[in-house]
Amino acid sequence: MTPRAGIDAASADRQPWRARAAPASRRLSRRAVRPWLFLAPALLLLALFTFWPVLWGSYLAFTEYNFLTPPRFVGLANFEDLIEDPVFFISLKNSLLYLLIVPAIQLGAIVLAVLVNNTLPGIKLFRAAFYVPVVTSVSVVGIMWGWMYNEQGLINAVLQGLHIVNDPVGWLSDDRLALFSVMVVTLWRGLGWYMVLYLAALQAIPKDLEEAARLDGATRWQRFWRVTVPMLMPTILLCTVLSTLSAMKVLEEVLIMTKGGPVSSTYTGLYYAYDQGIRAFNFPRALAASLVVSVFCVAVAWLNFRFLRPRHR
Amino acid sequence: MAFYVRTALHYALLTAIALLCVFPFLWTLSTAIGTEGNVFSFPSSFVPHRPSLANFIEVFRVIDLGRYYWNSIWITFWTVAWTVLVCSLAAYPLARYRFRGRGLVFTVIIATLMLPTEVNFLVNFITSAQLRLVNTHLGVILPTLAGAIGIFMMKNAFEEIPQDLLDAARVDGGSELYIFFRIMLPLALPQIAALVILTAVTTWNNFLWPSVVLTKSDLMPLAVGILELSGTFGSSTRVIAAGAVLTIAPALLVFFLTQRFFMRGMEGAIK
Amino acid sequence: MSRAAALLRLIGMLLLAAVTVCGCARTSAADKVHIEFWTMSLKPKFTPYFKALVAQYEASHPDVELEWVDVPWDTLQTKLTAAIVAGSAPALVQLNVPWAYDYALYGALRPIDDLLGADRSAYTEGAIADLTFNGHVYGFPHYNSVNVMAYNTALFRSAGITRVPTTRDEQLAVASQIKARTGQYGFSPALGKIAGLMLEEGLPLVENGKAVFNSPAHVAFVTKLADAYKAGGLLKDKLFSEDNYPASIDAYKSGRMAMLEAPPSALTRVRDDAADIYAVTDVAPVPIGARGIAAGGWLFHFAMPKGTDGAVAREAAAFAKFLTNDVNQLAFAKLAGAFPTSRKAVADPHFQRLRTDAGAYDKAMALGAQRMDVVRTLYVSGVPGFERLNKRLQDAVEAAIIGRKDVKTALDDAAAFWNGKLAPLARPTQAAIRP
Repeated sequence: MTPRAGIDAASADRQPWRARAAPASRRLSRRAVRPWLFLAPALLLLALFTFWPVLWGSYLAFTEYNFLTPPRFVGLANFEDLIEDPVFFISLKNSLLYLLIVPAIQLGAIVLAVLVNNTLPGIKLFRAAFYVPVVTSVSVVGIMWGWMYNEQGLINAVLQGLHIVNDPVGWLSDDRLALFSVMVVTLWRGLGWYMVLYLAALQAIPKDLEEAARLDGATRWQRFWRVTVPMLMPTILLCTVLSTLSAMKVLEEVLIMTKGGPVSSTYTGLYYAYDQGIRAFNFPRALAASLVVSVFCVAVAWLNFRFLRPRHR
Repeated sequence: MAFYVRTALHYALLTAIALLCVFPFLWTLSTAIGTEGNVFSFPSSFVPHRPSLANFIEVFRVIDLGRYYWNSIWITFWTVAWTVLVCSLAAYPLARYRFRGRGLVFTVIIATLMLPTEVNFLVNFITSAQLRLVNTHLGVILPTLAGAIGIFMMKNAFEEIPQDLLDAARVDGGSELYIFFRIMLPLALPQIAALVILTAVTTWNNFLWPSVVLTKSDLMPLAVGILELSGTFGSSTRVIAAGAVLTIAPALLVFFLTQRFFMRGMEGAIK
Repeated sequence: MSRAAALLRLIGMLLLAAVTVCGCARTSAADKVHIEFWTMSLKPKFTPYFKALVAQYEASHPDVELEWVDVPWDTLQTKLTAAIVAGSAPALVQLNVPWAYDYALYGALRPIDDLLGADRSAYTEGAIADLTFNGHVYGFPHYNSVNVMAYNTALFRSAGITRVPTTRDEQLAVASQIKARTGQYGFSPALGKIAGLMLEEGLPLVENGKAVFNSPAHVAFVTKLADAYKAGGLLKDKLFSEDNYPASIDAYKSGRMAMLEAPPSALTRVRDDAADIYAVTDVAPVPIGARGIAAGGWLFHFAMPKGTDGAVAREAAAFAKFLTNDVNQLAFAKLAGAFPTSRKAVADPHFQRLRTDAGAYDKAMALGAQRMDVVRTLYVSGVPGFERLNKRLQDAVEAAIIGRKDVKTALDDAAAFWNGKLAPLARPTQAAIRP
């Protein structure tokens, strides 16, 4: 063993991480690059499929484009088309109407969460039952509810059997009812999902607060409103925003159950965009419509924040 | 006494609401199993008359349900595998590294939660065409892999791993990849399991994007194919019902066996 | 293991996975020629027909492998264009004429003159003409439809009409007379497609890049329509809606309207739902416009996307000819209640020979078949942003006909709007019947 090797071996013992370390400059750049290598696949995919569509889509909304020839800039022509299309206004109106669902879902979900927030035997089964609509594919949901809503379908059979109505009700064929029928399906699908969120929040409320209130003689009702609800406020805010955004972006239920009919009465903002793009092959107009829908979403979300933000006392 | 009355009422209320939630499934199941009687009569259609598996066999005979099943399994399998890989790879530096630009990456990922991404299917369709991914399974899978929720779930998992383990590994001369595969992933197994289950069920049920990207029916997963069935056989409600049952059964089964992952996964997403 | 090796192994796994996923979807019959052909919304009615055809052809051509894909018509344009862009377009695709024109315009279709060869003469002239753009043929004609005019002989008698109208003018006059004498409507022109009506009359919409539908000839035509409307001869229900077909059939079936212009299949509905009206129904050719063209044509054909070359193109052409030969066209037409586009099939006794007790439907089929040579698909081409412009024209004509606006003023305003939109365009536009 030469003296030099002995020295190196000794230093390797004392500083093992140096033994295999590259010279300083190379080590630094390789080190700096490494996190980016890990992030690369995700960032690439996000860039391509999440960010690029927003940018390119916003540009295409101002063009004429048929995939085969390069896009041609036409300014606001697509938006003019939208304004002149009564179906577009129907779809915007319907998207706003859909917001009626938000308080219904939130209230329902809170009630459900309260009902299942205990350790009664079999409670897990009930929680699962409420969640089942959430884990079912929307296409099957649409088919099943199509049977329910059919003029010769189950709901009419029940109502007529119990003599509540005499004639079959056109749940999906009457243009005054169709939108609300679809909204019921969205409500049915969403209850379980929000219930779980509220359940988690309820279980995070410190038990002593409830205890203290009970000892002070507060009734259930008072406990609910004075203790539970305020503690839930952040979750309520979050859920309301989420629910609002997703109500405005309803598309699949309409696509599967009514395709916008009857008489265009169930068109929603995003379904209009889908219809223009995939069915009428007018992608720029579809993107223009979706831009408008996005603006609406942002506006409504902002309104939510303004009114539901916890006020500082 | 009041306690028992209250509890009974409690259960009654729960049962009523539960019935509202599941009655379409019960009816569909009954319709699929029964082989005679008016499909829409009340209340008799809730009880299958002459139960048999005939409708289920018919479904496989009449449309290529086996093919749809295989497509769903294939797509779900690869989506789950690659999603876990991509999200955990991305989460590792976010959880354990200090590097320049980390904050920026965070902002970028959170921004994706704010963006109106539902409309992305339009441009993604164009992009897929230009990348020659339309009408392929790869085209169905790729856009769904990287998501903020998955990344954050993995990040939370990785943050809980003690630093000493990592240090020891580095001392022993392990490369970063070695640390990643041999230490981080195995220790994050519970969260990975949650991510796997969530992704699997979501992918199994995914409808819109596969229906946009795919044209040929022999590539379609169940969620899309089942609609073809209902278009093809408008009058044979029982057969469609059987198809519907077969479509949702796997997802429901997975759900019932792993309930707590769903409930917990949501909590993780909130944080 | 070392870093590099681990990384390599990872990449290798990913690549392998990617290849497997991609490869799984493709069949690997390397020795057979693979022909993928798309049809438009023909399942499930024609599933047995096509399955039999495919089996028959594959049996007699063991080196060809056929793949049949049926696409719903409302998404066909999008899916086809995406496939073309992605380089995975089918070898043959069933299209209608306006769509084929658009695709040909953008160079997405392959002209098939060379592949058609001498077999061109097997098809009717009208069909080939429909598919000829810029001097090249772009499709193998498949099936067509044509309108006939069914009329209620009882109403005609009560109104004292002895001659069946043969021109639009006569038809409008007859309509007013029927209303005056019997109180029932005359007929329901497709005013929701006024562009088509004008084209049938030989009145172009655009010439040399300028809107010309406010010319005296046009004004006169619209005025005649307005007069007939005022006289009550035109059915008011859904007169201006894009699809007035259901309303027209209902009115005719219930005896409220004397003349019905529709494809022969409409008569089966009259036959099934209103036997008494059917009994007094006779058919005549639709009044011809000034160009001598029979209206109501809607041709379906098989086009070949660009990029289909070599062996695939040859085999695809052979298959397309098989699909559209006389025997198969006849079978398809019978199944679909439509008309074939090959000469022999059109001349088949099924269409030409009438049974002695032939009802209106059979007569209509025979009449339609006779018209096959001159029937053309009418559509407006070459006008960018046509939808918006058309809506303006529609609204103007509607206002004029129902009397809310003066005809000349309404047409002038619409023309001004069109010219405002057309002027900035560099390329000249021509809205006309395709030559």
